[in-house]
Amino acid sequence: MSQPSPEVYERGKGMDAHNQVMREIRSRNDASYEPDEPTRVWIDRDNTPDGVLDSLTIVLNTGGCRWARAGGCTMCGYVAESVDGGTVAHEDLLAQIDTALDQERETHDGTCRQVKIYTSGSFLDEREVPAESRQAIAERFGDRDRIVVESLPDFVDREKIADFREQGLETDVAIGLETATDQVRHDCVNKYFDFADFEDACAEAVAAEAGVKAYLLMKPPFLSESETIEDMISSVERCGAVEGCHTVSMNPTNVQRYTMVEQLYFDGGYRPPWLWSVVEVLRETAEEDVTVVSDPVGHGSDRGPHNCGECDDRVQTAIKDFNLRQDSSVFTQVECECERTWDTVCDREKSYSLPLAQ
Amino acid sequence: MTEYFEVIDRDGAARIGDLRLAESITTPALIDDVLTDAGSLWTADRSVPDGDEETLTVLPHRGFPAGTPDEVQTAFDPAVPDIEYPTAAVVTPETAADHGTDAYVLSGGSGLVGHSEAFVDAIVATRESIPPDAGLYLPGVATPGNVATLAYAGVDLFDTDRAVVRGTQGWYLTPDGEFRLDALDELPCACEVCRQGIDEFDREDCLEHNVATLEAELAAVRNRIREGRLRDYLEGQARHEQWLTATFRRLDDQYAYLEQRTPLVRKAEITAASAETLDRVEIQRFAERVTERYRCRFDAPLVLVPCSATKPYSDSQSHGQFQDAIHFRGHVASMTSPIGVVPQELELTYPAQHYDSVVTGRWSETEIEFVVDVLEAYLESNEYPRVIAHVPEDYRAITERVEERLDREFEYTVEAHPTTDESLANLSEALAGKPKYRKRERQHNVIRAIADYQFGAGAGEAIFGDLQVESHYPKLRANDADGEQLAAMVPEYGVLSLTLAGARRWIESDVPTKRVEIGGFVPHGSVLAPGILDADESIRVGDEVVFEGPDAFAVGRANMSGPEMARSSRGIASEVRHVTEK
Ligand code: SF4
Ligand SMILES: [Zn+2]
Ligand SMILES: [Zn+2]
Repeated sequence: MSQPSPEVYERGKGMDAHNQVMREIRSRNDASYEPDEPTRVWIDRDNTPDGVLDSLTIVLNTGGCRWARAGGCTMCGYVAESVDGGTVAHEDLLAQIDTALDQERETHDGTCRQVKIYTSGSFLDEREVPAESRQAIAERFGDRDRIVVESLPDFVDREKIADFREQGLETDVAIGLETATDQVRHDCVNKYFDFADFEDACAEAVAAEAGVKAYLLMKPPFLSESETIEDMISSVERCGAVEGCHTVSMNPTNVQRYTMVEQLYFDGGYRPPWLWSVVEVLRETAEEDVTVVSDPVGHGSDRGPHNCGECDDRVQTAIKDFNLRQDSSVFTQVECECERTWDTVCDREKSYSLPLAQ
Repeated sequence: MTEYFEVIDRDGAARIGDLRLAESITTPALIDDVLTDAGSLWTADRSVPDGDEETLTVLPHRGFPAGTPDEVQTAFDPAVPDIEYPTAAVVTPETAADHGTDAYVLSGGSGLVGHSEAFVDAIVATRESIPPDAGLYLPGVATPGNVATLAYAGVDLFDTDRAVVRGTQGWYLTPDGEFRLDALDELPCACEVCRQGIDEFDREDCLEHNVATLEAELAAVRNRIREGRLRDYLEGQARHEQWLTATFRRLDDQYAYLEQRTPLVRKAEITAASAETLDRVEIQRFAERVTERYRCRFDAPLVLVPCSATKPYSDSQSHGQFQDAIHFRGHVASMTSPIGVVPQELELTYPAQHYDSVVTGRWSETEIEFVVDVLEAYLESNEYPRVIAHVPEDYRAITERVEERLDREFEYTVEAHPTTDESLANLSEALAGKPKYRKRERQHNVIRAIADYQFGAGAGEAIFGDLQVESHYPKLRANDADGEQLAAMVPEYGVLSLTLAGARRWIESDVPTKRVEIGGFVPHGSVLAPGILDADESIRVGDEVVFEGPDAFAVGRANMSGPEMARSSRGIASEVRHVTEK
């Protein structure tokens, strides 16, 4: 159904309003970036179908998300016009890969078995990463075991995935599904594809003998704490039921700069999720036939997922532990008085009274 | 149309209401237990709920938290279905409108508490956009400390959410602030759970105490509203938190909002204990009417005297002594904080005999400036041949500033103290040779002065041009030349109540009238809001109003403001004193 071009997305007055607001908010940002520098590079430890592996993680600068230029998602602070002209040249993309490799050499013993490439857009969109660059990058990483590339569902295509499979790489496509509930994805996140498109993308991946890692967003704006917990639990369940989707990465919203979420946050209308909510979802879905991990960025800070300030580090450690072991008994160890407050908030908070507690 | 909520009593923007569920609830009140939430449209489409009479159903909604951009609100604001049963619609100041529901839920409250400007703007905008006879619910924010202020601003419905959440966080709430439970040495409360003492007192107890205290505070608020004394309470209570103090100051700046909702007269006394008293509608209104409507009809020097603690002033010993010395040869006006200037004819008129102030002989600069402004305006609109200032030393800061501003000289007669023999002799001496005015002139001028004050400049002559006065001050009766009664003076409030003949004269005069157009019926005892077709905007609670309809002509005293009469579908709009069929 959906085409990720701004022209087609401009439908529906809710989306128009979100886009208009987001464009205005993003325009306050005047940062710019170099085309031959990756946006960010770091090394993760990830739970993969082959066990826990070190991953070289690269956020490629591919000229920015086209959707963000139209306005885009309400929580995403990704810089819309990251490079002048919009498209990054083939040489520059490869230069970014070289920079990432240099960084890996400096900070890590040997090469990581897994590589993850995010673009804040779609790595498989050939307007962002031309076929030539994609193939060259696949070759560069031919010596690894696994690769993860980020893409919106529309661009997931068995032929493109074949570039990686031909290098002998186990391949996963990371899809920013955000939630399995179409209404929430559309109206709260302002991201316009349907769960059906995600299912189609999974089928494409399966046809190419690849897998899918779904990225979920815990607590977009306008949802109460209990609504977001419910939304995440049902999303994990629905993702787990789709063939090919072997992993769900559920990530709590953090308040990013130049976003609508930040505007709500400044005016007292947004609080990132409680870490207890993350725990609740992980616990409730532990039995599902899908690996569920969560990476609470900025945990313990006002702008990130947090509890009371006393227990945040302990809960975060338990979540990290869970990511690797998928065993919910890790949570029996952590307790704090603020759980009672969180419980009260879950019981009582409504979309018209949020946030009930900081 | 509002069906399940009714406003019973008003005190400024605060009201006593009746949430008319199967079991009715007197508001301001907590409504946690009687709410049914039909659910958020952000997460799913919702079918229109059935509703029931036991609960208030919050219709399917999209809550807009604080900071939601206007464009997003406009685009996502859902249509409100029309349901038979008690319902509430979720709104923001931006989206508020008459949706035909019984109550309105104001979304985004967490962004308002703590921010007086945002709070006042939001409440005023919302209240002005929803029907006056609908309940306003502000969810998730009430505490024992802020609920009096929230009710004062015009919120009717609350919940225990915040009190419970704070309890779980170990905050012990009281009407005068929040305390860390672990920092308390003893429990300053005698509620059931606090009686056990602090040793075993935990957070569960704390939240119970918080809820009990919130309930008790709401009961206190309801009593205060019934007494017409919520403002007096707040001037002290709200002081424990900056934003609450700032809130009622900012509400005072929303003069039109408060003025429309403030009654012309009250039973209760005003306790003048803080600087903010001067900003009260009652005080401002009196000063405005004395300087803009009232006109002195005596041809005599003005004698300025200090106010007395006894009210009315003429009953006090000091004023008795002044009067003996003046002996009807001068026109007396009392100077006072917080009222300003009170001409003798209006000494009974609310709030001139209904205030109590802490007399210390020390004037703050704000008080001085206030009385100076009033006296200056008073002297500009009334021409006196002479001004005799029979005032003690501490009043001279005022009189001298006025002399300077008007470039005229007052005569001072006090030595040491106004009631010394020497001072009183000076006063009498200053008036030597002046003619004495008669009792009848005095009585006529009282009726006419009150008419000016109550109905507008010139009303004294326009309505009471040919006047005969009967009976004794202060229970005067005003008749026309033929002896037909036009009005009676109400001594408790110093106002006039009109007869049908008086009402006819009023509407035939050039003075602005307060008319209410009613349907085809003959009202007896009272007029209900649904019977009203239109009402003059300027009507205030306590005003004399004239009712005209195809079948009847009547006069009475308003229980609602004009805008409230015109827009309400429930409630007693006015008492009716006299009625005649057409
Ligand atoms: S979340 Fe993804 S699609 Fe949405 S604006 Fe950000 S980068 Fe673009
Ligand atoms: Zn905690
Ligand atoms: Zn107690």
